[in-house]
Amino acid sequence: MTTATKSAAEPHADSSAKPRRGRCPETVVLFIVANQMFAVAADSVHEIRSTDSIAGTANEIENPELPKVRHTIDRSGRTYYVVNAGMHFGLPVTRPALVLILRQFRAAVLVDRIDRMAEIPGVYPLPLAFTGDERRWYRGLAYLDDSVIPVVEPTGFLTPQEFQRLDGAQKEAARREAEAAVQA
Amino acid sequence: MNIAEAAKENSFVLLRIGHRRVALPAGQVSELAPPVRLHTFPHTTPLLAGVIVRRGRVVPVIDTEPVLGGKSPMSHRFYLIAHRRVGKASELGAIPVNGECELASGEMQPPAMNSPAYVAGTLAVGEDSLDVLNLDAFSIANSAAGESHGAEASR
Repeated sequence: MTTATKSAAEPHADSSAKPRRGRCPETVVLFIVANQMFAVAADSVHEIRSTDSIAGTANEIENPELPKVRHTIDRSGRTYYVVNAGMHFGLPVTRPALVLILRQFRAAVLVDRIDRMAEIPGVYPLPLAFTGDERRWYRGLAYLDDSVIPVVEPTGFLTPQEFQRLDGAQKEAARREAEAAVQA
Repeated sequence: MNIAEAAKENSFVLLRIGHRRVALPAGQVSELAPPVRLHTFPHTTPLLAGVIVRRGRVVPVIDTEPVLGGKSPMSHRFYLIAHRRVGKASELGAIPVNGECELASGEMQPPAMNSPAYVAGTLAVGEDSLDVLNLDAFSIANSAAGESHGAEASR
């Protein structure tokens, strides 16, 4: 621990992205959005459903707080916010066919298709030159079949502040709905 | 400073980016890599084109075109890999070049008053005066200039 801290503080410490040593290989789900492949840890995905199968149970958000979140779905008594991965990553608009329902967060992700599951030997840290939103979006990079694939960070789809805004808007919508029901 | 140190400090790699000839301190240069595959993925950092994989490392590729101008051919692109500082750490970065690099010696002169931050100084080579690039300042100093390009690169 001390060594690592010291090394990071050294002005000339070469932190070029090498795979983290000692990491166990991990199983990932490879998915496609607008012809771009991404990986997500398989154990962070609770369920994969087709958009058709959830169409009847999805609730549209009337005044979306965030353009990338337009629907919620209820699963096992919890409300999940459905994030359009294309809009999240700033990719061209597509017609997503699948929803990845995440395990530990109240978020589900719209993607075009699943490519396959694969085992990656490790995750390369994102080079320090990348300083934008991608530092929140990705855990790092995987090198698989001669391709570099970003490994998404599931918590990066919605920040705590975004969750707060969405929860607030949902409560307000529920209150308005209740008032309208009383008046009727 | 001994002779070897002085020689190292006064050595520069001359390279062509687009239609411009520029110089880079030889001490910063790691290698000239062959035209390997450029991997791209969504991101919002200006002036980064993507990454290449070289000798088991993921190396970010700096997109110099929006700043230095001139389109370099996408085919037969080589990468000059050099050390650059990012905050307190340093990491490798790659610049697409056309492969014609030469070594020159000379004393770097201070940059002109109005030079952009990515110019560390100037180097007289024959009758030409070439800008010596400061890769450390490259992305930070020009982030505003490359803002729109960064958004394009993420697509």
